[in-house]
Amino acid sequence: MFDLDTYAYTNRWIKIHPLEKFVFALATMLVCLISPSVVVVGAVLLLMTVASTKGAGTPVGQFFRFMMIPFSFILTGVLTIAFSVSHDPGGFLFGFTFGSITVGASQANLMKAGFIFFKSLGAVSCLYFLSLTTPVLEVISVLRKLKAPSLFLELMGLVYRFIFVLMDTTALIRMSQTSRLGYVSAKNTFRSLSQLISSLFVRSFHRAGELATALTARNYTGEIRTLEKEYPVSKRNYAVILGIELGLLLLNFT
Amino acid sequence: MAAFILETEAVEYVYPDGTQALRKIDMAVAKGQKVAILGSNGAGKSTLFLHLNGILRPAGGKIRYDGREVVYNAAGLRELRTRVGIVFQDPDSQLFSASVLQEISFGPLNLGLEKREVKERVLKAMSETEIEDLADKPTHMLSFGQKKRVAIADILAMMPEVIIFDEPTAWLDPRHAREFMQLLDHLAAAGRTIIISTHDVDIAYAWADNILIMNHGQIVASGVPTEVFRHPDSIIAADLALPWLVEMHGELMRRDWLRPDAPLPRSKEALFASLGGHDKGKITAGTTGTVLRVLP
Ligand SMILES: Nc1ncnc2c1ncn2[C@@H]1O[C@H](COP(=O)(O)OP(=O)(O)OP(=O)(O)O)[C@@H](O)[C@H]1O
Ligand SMILES: [Mg+2]
Repeated sequence: MFDLDTYAYTNRWIKIHPLEKFVFALATMLVCLISPSVVVVGAVLLLMTVASTKGAGTPVGQFFRFMMIPFSFILTGVLTIAFSVSHDPGGFLFGFTFGSITVGASQANLMKAGFIFFKSLGAVSCLYFLSLTTPVLEVISVLRKLKAPSLFLELMGLVYRFIFVLMDTTALIRMSQTSRLGYVSAKNTFRSLSQLISSLFVRSFHRAGELATALTARNYTGEIRTLEKEYPVSKRNYAVILGIELGLLLLNFT
Repeated sequence: MAAFILETEAVEYVYPDGTQALRKIDMAVAKGQKVAILGSNGAGKSTLFLHLNGILRPAGGKIRYDGREVVYNAAGLRELRTRVGIVFQDPDSQLFSASVLQEISFGPLNLGLEKREVKERVLKAMSETEIEDLADKPTHMLSFGQKKRVAIADILAMMPEVIIFDEPTAWLDPRHAREFMQLLDHLAAAGRTIIISTHDVDIAYAWADNILIMNHGQIVASGVPTEVFRHPDSIIAADLALPWLVEMHGELMRRDWLRPDAPLPRSKEALFASLGGHDKGKITAGTTGTVLRVLP
C-alpha cells in the first residue's frame, strides 16, 4: 500500500488532470463490467497494464506483483460460483459425492466463474491504474468536484495524513522496544505488542487533541477549506478516452 | 495605540490533572520587539503561548492585546487569532494535510481572503521559508526540518502582527537555523512582533531585544540580554546555561584580559573587537585558542 502511495507521487502522468485519469479509470471499469465479451475484458486488462507501465512508468514486475495481491482473494470468491451442490451427479464435469449429495462443477458454471474471474481482474486493474497515477488527495479533490459530502472528504484527508503519522509512531515505538529486547521471545513479543497497541491508541487520542488545537489556532471553525492544485484541462485527453471506450464497446460485437 | 501590543497580568493556569503550569505571569511585549522566552523542559513556555492565542483561558489574571482585554467569545477569539499566530513545537501535530499547498492555504482562507490573494501569500510564505521545491511532495515524505519549515510557512501566510514560535530552531540544521533567525530579523524589521521559546541561550542572547526566563511556571528574570545574564544565579536555578559570550567575557575580566569597563559583547565579533592587540590576519574557524595567545 505504501509503495502504491510512492508511485502515485512519482509517476510520469502526475501532471495530467486527476479528473481525466479518474474518468478514464472508471469509464473503462464500467465498460469492463457491462461487457459480455471476454475479448473486451482481455483488452481492458492489456490497456490498463500498458497505461500503468509504459504510460505512467510503474515497473512491469511491480505492476504484476500488485495484481497478485487480490488474485487469491478473487479466486476463492469465484470458486463458490464454479462449484454447486446437487442430488444429481449427472451434469457435472467432475465432482465429489458425499452420500446422496454431490459437490461439483459443470462446464457452464466453470465458464461463468472464469469469466467473472477475469472481469474482476480487469476491474481491479482499472483501480490500480488510478491508484498508481493519482495521489489520494487528488482523488479526494475529484470527489469534491463531483459534490461528495465534504465531511466525508475531510475525514478521508485527515485519515490519510494520520496513517503516516501513526506509522512513524509505530515504527519508533517498535524500534525502542526491539532495542530493549522486546521481541526476543514469544512471551516478550506478546507483551510488547499489547503495549504497542495500547500506547498507539493513547497517542492517537493525544494527536487528535493537538491537531484540534493547532487548527483552532488558525481560526478553524468547523470547515476545512484549502486551495487545490490546478491542472490544465485537456479536451484532447477526453476525446482519446471517449475513443478508447467506444472502441472497447465495439469489440463486443466482433 | 497602546504601549504594549501583548500583555499578561498575573496569569495563572492549572491543567485539569492539577499541574500548576503558570503562576502569576506578568509580561509585556512592545510592538516590533523580538522576545525570547528561555526555560527548561516543563517550565510552562508552551502553556503560556496557548494563552497568548486564546486556546487556553487563564484561570486567573488578564491578557490584553493592544491595550484591550481579550474577549473570550467567537468574534473576540477570531480577532485575537488573526493577529497572533503560533507555530507549534511539533510539526506533526500542526500539519493536517498531506499536501503542502493545502496546508499553507488553510489559514489565509480562514481569514476570508480572496483566492487570488491567498495564492500570492502562499507563494510568498513558501519562498520565505525556501520550500518551493517541496510543493509537490506529500508532507509525509518530508524530513522533520522540512516539515518544520512548512509549519512556519503555515503561519507566515496568515501574516499576523505577532508571531509566536515554539522551539523554532530545534531540529533545524545549523544553516537553516541561522537562515531562520535572519528570517525572524526580516519579519521584525517589517514591523512584526516576534516571540520565540528556546533552550538555546546563545541564540536567545544574540538575537533577542528582550529575554524572559521561566522556571516552574514563573518568570524568574526578564530584561535586555546584557542585563538578564549579569545575575547568573537565576539562570543556573532555572536549569539553563550561560551564553558562551557571557562566560567568556566573565573569564576574560577575571584574568584582567579585558578593560573593566568593556561592555558585554552581543556577538563574537564584538568580543574580538574589545580584546585589543593586533590583528594578524584572518582567524579560521575552530582556532579561538590562537586569539588568546596574542593577548598580553
Ligand atoms: N495537557 C496537559 N495536561 C496536564 N499537564 C500538562 C499538559 N500539558 C503540559 N502539562 C504540564 O504543564 C507544565 C508545563 O508544560 P509546558 O508544555 O508548557 O512546558 P514547556 O516549557 O513548553 O516545556 P518544553 O520545553 O519541554 O516544551 C509541565 O509540567 C507539563 O507536564
Ligand atoms: Mg513546549
